[in-house]
Amino acid sequence: MSKYVEMIRIRFLMMLAYRTNYYSGILIYSINIGAYYFLWNAIYGEKASIEGMSVLQMTSYVAVAWMARAFYFNNIDREIAQEIKEGKVAVEFIRPYHYLIMKTMQGLGEGLFRLFFFSVPGMVIVALIFPISFSASGITWLFFSTSIVFSFIINTQINLLTGILTFFFFNNDGLIRAKRVIIDLFSGLLLPISFYPGWAQQVMNFLPFQAISYIPSMIFTDGMTGSAVYNALWFQLIWAILLIVPIQFLWIIAKKQLIVQGG
Amino acid sequence: MNYVAIFVQYVSQYIKTRLTYRVDMVIEMMSDLLFQAVNLVFILVVFGHTDFLSGWSREEIIFIYGFFLVPYAIFGAFFNIWDFNERYIVKGEMDRILTRPVHSLFQIILERMELESLFGTFTGIGVMVYAGYQLGLDISWFDPILFILFVVGGVLVYGGIFVLLACISFWSDSRTSIMPMMYNIGNYGRYPVDIYNQVIRFILTWILPFAFVGVYPSAYFLGKEEWYSYAFMTPVIGIVFFTISVFVWNIGVTKYRGAGN
Amino acid sequence: MENIIQVDTLRKEFKSYSSRSGLKGAFRDLFTRNYKVIPAVKDISFTIKKGEMVGYIGENGAGKSTSIKMLTGILTPTSGSVVVNGMNPHKEREKFVRSIGVVFGQRSQLWWDIAVQESFRLLKKVYHVPDHVYESHMNHVIESLDIGPLLDKPVRKLSLGQRMRCELAAALLHNPSLLFLDEPTIGLDVLVKLKIRNFLKEINQKYQTTVLLTTHDLTDIEALCERVIMLDEGQIIYDGRLSKLKSSWGEGKQIEFQFADPKIEKLNLAVLTNDLQTEWTSGNKKNVWVANVVNDEELISEVIARVVAAHKITDIKIHEITTEEIIRNIYEEGVIQ
Repeated sequence: MSKYVEMIRIRFLMMLAYRTNYYSGILIYSINIGAYYFLWNAIYGEKASIEGMSVLQMTSYVAVAWMARAFYFNNIDREIAQEIKEGKVAVEFIRPYHYLIMKTMQGLGEGLFRLFFFSVPGMVIVALIFPISFSASGITWLFFSTSIVFSFIINTQINLLTGILTFFFFNNDGLIRAKRVIIDLFSGLLLPISFYPGWAQQVMNFLPFQAISYIPSMIFTDGMTGSAVYNALWFQLIWAILLIVPIQFLWIIAKKQLIVQGG
Repeated sequence: MNYVAIFVQYVSQYIKTRLTYRVDMVIEMMSDLLFQAVNLVFILVVFGHTDFLSGWSREEIIFIYGFFLVPYAIFGAFFNIWDFNERYIVKGEMDRILTRPVHSLFQIILERMELESLFGTFTGIGVMVYAGYQLGLDISWFDPILFILFVVGGVLVYGGIFVLLACISFWSDSRTSIMPMMYNIGNYGRYPVDIYNQVIRFILTWILPFAFVGVYPSAYFLGKEEWYSYAFMTPVIGIVFFTISVFVWNIGVTKYRGAGN
Repeated sequence: MENIIQVDTLRKEFKSYSSRSGLKGAFRDLFTRNYKVIPAVKDISFTIKKGEMVGYIGENGAGKSTSIKMLTGILTPTSGSVVVNGMNPHKEREKFVRSIGVVFGQRSQLWWDIAVQESFRLLKKVYHVPDHVYESHMNHVIESLDIGPLLDKPVRKLSLGQRMRCELAAALLHNPSLLFLDEPTIGLDVLVKLKIRNFLKEINQKYQTTVLLTTHDLTDIEALCERVIMLDEGQIIYDGRLSKLKSSWGEGKQIEFQFADPKIEKLNLAVLTNDLQTEWTSGNKKNVWVANVVNDEELISEVIARVVAAHKITDIKIHEITTEEIIRNIYEEGVIQ
């Protein structure tokens, strides 16, 4: 276990080393949130609420969705693809750890760094500039925290899946890009799921994507309350477990293929 | 004129290589198409809840998006330099570039070409034609010429900004992921700038002039006379930005530290 | 003869950031950072004449790569001047690089996915080589390097030796008057090495091509270069003929005797040669003794004559100190005066 903790720590330190990244990241996230704030204000116009959400809730939603993204987002799909292409994965197999867990831990190290040094200060800055409502209830914060942990798990699982697929395609840049686009749209980062037409919402209920962004953001803005919260957390938990199946499956096939072809 | 010959040579090489990996090419085009669709979906969903965005109708916003896709596709085909830092600075590929008798930026543009991306120009024109038809826009004989001028201006604006961002790598020793993040900001030029406050409007016009890749030139075709002066500035801003970026690039090359050892 | 390379008090400094240790240190680094200025090349000067083949040697981090990169226009010098082929490499880069060829052993100049001849065709356009010049010159290069059968294969399918020969051909496509070779034989087998060396000698004779070669393999340098420039910690510690380096540093010879009598003692031998400058050391076997002498024919003959006359021997060998040993000695003992 301690080797995985060490992996988290190393990633954390690596992130601190890239300070240009750090400053530009805060700036760019703030600009992003700002632009969406204005866009949503324009969309609301004179209306007090759309789909049961007020402008204030909407801007809080956008802000928290982006800041939560800083935590769950990582590039391990790209990294895995890179390592497979360069033939480094074969080396990773002989190391005394599970490659996928190790990658997940690296992602977690990155995520924790951004959560503490990026999302939290970023959120304070954003809250100073734009009107944002924070929930007063401790229980909401508890649910929110649980929920973003699941966001991280599910997003990472999807990244692992996309990464492993590199074993089966010569070049999966296109796939990785497509995945990112789909997550931006269907996770609720750009638009709350409740804004979609009814049939589209029905379809998305059968997909894991809304567990990544929509659920934690809705919990945070008190847009989801009571039993809806429990249902949403169950939704996240079930997907987190379900996604293990295809990952394990593809991983085993990939390993076999690697042994046969020798990387 | 040697540069034209080199360009042609590279393009033909590129096509030969790509034809050996046809599946990749198709996947890439599909993912481009998906990317273009996402933004359209966003617009459509939003307009399911409102009729006007600061006085701009749904078709007008779609038209702007269609226009935006054209310079964006050309930019994507020739300025695929978002991993410049990784590839050329950290891995030291810049060494190789600098031992060849062609301008370094030009070589990198040629090496990193992604011509599949040009497919997006068709999507863009298609979207514009659809929206223009819905709006009943008239086309005069000089409109296609202006369209080309505006598109070239837009490409140069986009290219200039990203070349400037790439230049940071010559000075900063650390890995940065500014470029991928900047792609998001480019999107804001697709919405009417009047929805933003003064500061962001100023940024999108003069500092990161993404508004010249979308809303300003489109405003001309949509007959929004209050924006005409901005629309006609598009090629000028493009040339100015791109010239500055090449200038900074040339200085940056002298600061190149080489990789490793 | 004209100077192809003229380097005068050339210096290159790098800023190096040091990071503080631990989490707290890393956090402090976000706001302020410590840096040091480290000179990689310290005011070196030398000249190279047309047609010379010069070996450029030094340990890792001695400043070899940095100085080569300044000579090829990749890096800008901090101070001092470089004139190569009558040009300032960095200032007139695009014009300058037309006159040189570069091979980086660890970095491919060729395009990975396309056939070798397609890469050549691209480079031909890039270097603006007219058809008739290309035909006559490259046909010869392709033949000498024996790469004709490889031309229609993509680079990624070539073996290292095959690729290296193609790299060399690519670097010579525009028939440059000056060739920089950075570790051109790294990881290659002996036959390919020989082929490459012969080829380099040939073009040097045919076109008077000046060659600057950096390598870890000193046999390359022995085979090709009359002159060596040796770097250590950013300074030139030797610049002169390889043969002189050998005669002044590799002065001694070792004569190894294997005796029939296993009970022979150092004393028995020392008595024999007590009026000659000889030092006896024990060999790797009990009956093996080594006489260390200076490189002098008379002396060597005399020592052998006396020993052979006095004792029965079963084997005799004369060793010369290798260039590698010489260079190791130099680095251990410091600057050559």
